[in-house]
Amino acid sequence: MPRHRGEEDDVDEDYDGMELEEEEEEDEGRSRGGGSRQKRGRSSFFDDYAEEDSEEEEDDDDDEDYGSRRGKGGGGGGGAKRKKSSAAMFVDDIADQVDDDDEEGEDEDGEDGFIVDTGTDLPDERVDRRRYHDRGFDENDEDVDDLERRIQERFSRPQEDYDEEATDVEQQALLPSVRDPKLWMVKCAIGREREVAVCLMQKYIDRGSDLQIRSVVALDHLKNYIYVEADKEAHVKEAIKGMRNIYANQKILLVPIREMTDVLSVESKAIDLSRDTWVRMKIGTYKGDLAKVVDVDNVRQRVTVKLIPRIDLQALASKLDGREVAKKKAFVPPPRFMNIDEARELHIRVERRRDPMTGDYFENIGGMLFKDGFMYKTVSLKSIIAQNVTPTFDELEKFNKPSENGESGDFGGLSTLFANRKKGHFMKGDAVIVIKGDLKNLKGWVEKVDEDNVLIRSGLKGLPDPLAVNEKELCKYFEPGNHVKVVSGTHEGATGMVVKVDQHVLILLSDTTKEHVRVFADHVVESSEVTTGVTKIGQYELHDLVLLDNLTFGVTIRLENEAFQVLKGNPDRPEVALVKLREIKCKLDRKISVQDRYKNVISVSDDVRIVEGPSKGKQGPVRHIYKGVLFIYDRHHLEHAGFICAKCTSCVVVGGSRSGANRNGGDSLSRFSNFKAPAPVPPSPRRFQRGGMGYNARGRGRGGRGGRDDSLLGTTVKIRLGPFKGYRGPVVEVKGDTVRVELEMKIVTVDRNAISDNVAVTTPSRDTSRYSMGSETPMHPSRTPLHPYMTPMRDAGATPIHDGMRTPMRDRAWNPYTPMSPPRDNWEEGNPGSWGTSPNYQPGSPPSRAYEAPTPGSGWASTPGGSYSDAGTPRDSGSAYVNAPSPYLPSTPGQPMTPSSASYLPGTPGGQPMTPGTGLDVMSPVIGGDAEAWFMPDILVEIHKAGEDSDVGVIRDVSDGTCKVSLGSSGEGDTIMALPGELEIVPPRKNDRVKIVGGQYRGSIGKLIGIDGSDGIVKIEDNLDVKILDLAILAKFVQP
Amino acid sequence: MGEVAAQIPTSFGHELRACLRCRLVKTYDQFRDSGCENCPFFKIEEDPERIVDVTTPNFNGTISMMDPRRSWAARWLRIGKFAPGCYALAVSETLSEDMQSLCQEERVQYIPPKRI
Repeated sequence: MPRHRGEEDDVDEDYDGMELEEEEEEDEGRSRGGGSRQKRGRSSFFDDYAEEDSEEEEDDDDDEDYGSRRGKGGGGGGGAKRKKSSAAMFVDDIADQVDDDDEEGEDEDGEDGFIVDTGTDLPDERVDRRRYHDRGFDENDEDVDDLERRIQERFSRPQEDYDEEATDVEQQALLPSVRDPKLWMVKCAIGREREVAVCLMQKYIDRGSDLQIRSVVALDHLKNYIYVEADKEAHVKEAIKGMRNIYANQKILLVPIREMTDVLSVESKAIDLSRDTWVRMKIGTYKGDLAKVVDVDNVRQRVTVKLIPRIDLQALASKLDGREVAKKKAFVPPPRFMNIDEARELHIRVERRRDPMTGDYFENIGGMLFKDGFMYKTVSLKSIIAQNVTPTFDELEKFNKPSENGESGDFGGLSTLFANRKKGHFMKGDAVIVIKGDLKNLKGWVEKVDEDNVLIRSGLKGLPDPLAVNEKELCKYFEPGNHVKVVSGTHEGATGMVVKVDQHVLILLSDTTKEHVRVFADHVVESSEVTTGVTKIGQYELHDLVLLDNLTFGVTIRLENEAFQVLKGNPDRPEVALVKLREIKCKLDRKISVQDRYKNVISVSDDVRIVEGPSKGKQGPVRHIYKGVLFIYDRHHLEHAGFICAKCTSCVVVGGSRSGANRNGGDSLSRFSNFKAPAPVPPSPRRFQRGGMGYNARGRGRGGRGGRDDSLLGTTVKIRLGPFKGYRGPVVEVKGDTVRVELEMKIVTVDRNAISDNVAVTTPSRDTSRYSMGSETPMHPSRTPLHPYMTPMRDAGATPIHDGMRTPMRDRAWNPYTPMSPPRDNWEEGNPGSWGTSPNYQPGSPPSRAYEAPTPGSGWASTPGGSYSDAGTPRDSGSAYVNAPSPYLPSTPGQPMTPSSASYLPGTPGGQPMTPGTGLDVMSPVIGGDAEAWFMPDILVEIHKAGEDSDVGVIRDVSDGTCKVSLGSSGEGDTIMALPGELEIVPPRKNDRVKIVGGQYRGSIGKLIGIDGSDGIVKIEDNLDVKILDLAILAKFVQP
Repeated sequence: MGEVAAQIPTSFGHELRACLRCRLVKTYDQFRDSGCENCPFFKIEEDPERIVDVTTPNFNGTISMMDPRRSWAARWLRIGKFAPGCYALAVSETLSEDMQSLCQEERVQYIPPKRI
């Protein structure tokens, strides 16, 4: 490709960049003679890709470069401000690249400047362009090389001065910029990545600089792809043309600039294998098994490990005898130490050989080497995992078995364990003990950690203080009584008290399970933290009864990392299995009852005594029952988290009083007697039926629990969790741990025409049956003490709803009746239990305006939900009215709002007299009472004076129930005096400024940012809070 | 490009080794016969036993560097000054102390591979 090396011509360069970039300005470009050429280049590229030559490619691809060029052009305003600092260029470039829109603007600027400056250069454009390209590269290189040179100069020479930290910083300077060649991802044949890379290299050498690619990357871990570094995609295409292992017409993907370094950032798998390192096998029969490195052959990349063999001697014998071995692929023999004698018994030929290198004797069985029961295996370095291998206690224990002679408790060599220590294992202040060398058993405190050496302060006389000890000779030291937290290993997260210290092994009494846990001192830090521990994995909790497969089940007694220890339901002997989460089929929480030895019914929570079997004599409450097997919890049983598994027929129920009478006819009676409530009146039929049947069926007769559950019936509860969170409603059924809750109806806005009266017909009956009044009443008070929590709950749940979601009206409806439990029957029958149905009438009904306007929540604000809960708690059926539409309401939609309602209100027993300041007050404006409620200065009102046309005006002042109103929509007119009765709020429209004339925000000014049915969404100006308020308490605000 | 490229590996399998200093990748035989183009001071060709000391089969990823002077990857990998050729992205071993001091004597930089 011809290259025109020209002298710097910045202006031209700017020009080119801009012009080529702006396709829309093609005309302009063509007029200058450059655009057409460019166009040709483009089209030839797109249309006739095969014929492309490198020149055209370059034309086309130059676009990508323009980001950077143009950026500079634009920034320079067309001037020849080429020489920015390279750093600044980088920044500019990136910004430009990212921000395309801006570029457009800049381009234009730049272009303007350019036209002025360089119009004369136009004829040379073609040449200049080539020049530009070439120089572009050169410059690029210059920059790069320059940078590199500088960096190299700066850092490479005095090597001693800079360590790796310095090179890290330095590396940052090498991050790719938009001016650098890009990486393209090219698909190639699987397994041929390296080959392709090498072949491309060869091709490059053969063809010389024909190939425009810079490099080819083949990653070991990325199959099927190679990366090609080149400026343009076309270069890549050109280079891979005709390559055997690259599929033609594959898409070539550009690697985003920020991912470029990731491609090259391959971790050097610095395998630091040395003797006695713990490793894990990666593949084969021994996959996942712990092994210990015996020898490393770095040259041949092989490592000899010893591990516990998994050999099926029988199968081996058959195989060696030449017999056919039935291949059971799924079967992996359990790890077991090789017993040579056993092997000999099976007539397996065992050769004893001496290893010429080490002088050790090995037993050779069929080519496998054994020593001391271990298998010695030489494998490829690649087939083991050497990083972050932390053997578990059990594994170490197993590994340690054969060599127990002598040094017991030294779990396979301390040093190997410590090899897995992370940096910063010891911290200043840690109590440590020396475990090796002359100073063994010296205790001290860490003073300073310095690489491998730890300075410790021993406090002993005659010893240098501080004393430098190799980290590997140290172990954390704890004393019995220390409270510690486990920070790594299987018991990570557990806390407990150290009860025994055995060298570097601690025995903890776990806070969670109260069990003894053995941990390495290394894995523990002193901590006063007491974790309750994780008691839940997924949907399973500790002490749940779980089904493992169709036959086995058990109780989860301990949690480990993503696994449970399960005490299986085997009554003959305790059997504990470690079960992975996914191996658990499901949780069993059926409430079953079984019969004990004497045919007494046992159900969950009953106390039983085991009268035969291995756990004879134990006693405790039954936690789970499944398939005739009981899981009994005995606090004094220290194993298995206190759980004992027993057959139901091996047990007798203790505390007979619970079993007999309760379970039979006297069910409900005894239940209620627990309430201390007189139970002469049976509960409502339906309820009785439900409750009674439930008990009989489930055979649960214990008063305490059952009664408690039952007391929930009918109470309004709020759901705290799950998808129904926040919903409230009465409990309609209690079953075991679940309750059925009838959710309160949602308050919705519907057109008045869209409602029918039918509901009213059906609901009353439902209502009565559930909350049959008379019979139930006596019980209610008794519930309250049993459930003191109900009140707060209800408060919490109910109040906000009232404030926020419901109209004040409802509260007003409520308040009058608040204290009137006694006349309630009366009320329920005669009066609208129906207030609660307000959703129906509230929003849409036409008359509501009249009434809504004067509904200045003062009423409800002054009697916030408290009164509601007062009313609700004793009566318990609070939700009933809310819930049940009454016959009343739909048929008389607006009734309460009309003044006439006043006449009816007083008629309500106990209503008016008892709630002087609440509900009625707010009604009064309509009735003609106190005006203070909503009349406020600076709101727009409509004035209806008798005999006059209505007019709008702005209230200026309020005094003694009369308002000074300035006429006119902005109050510019005459000022008149008006009575509140003659005024009406002008409802604000969206985006109006409003004044809140009622509720707790009374007096605040805000902006009505939306209207939702009868609610207005108001952004309060003071604090910018957005509140949803009844439109009735919003008045259009007029700035005085 | 006027640059003389290093030998290109003649195979792609396990015979490949990478120079511990410059990460040049070639086959064992190539190293034995002509040493390392970037690190002649190792004098591998004079002492074939050195191959084991200064090269490793334990490397990760390869890059065919066509144009080290103008390649970003070369810059990033710090092989921009080396001859074109195939290089390893990372080697997993360190030069022995002897060899490191040899590098120092030769006043060439040696950056040990970064440990994880």
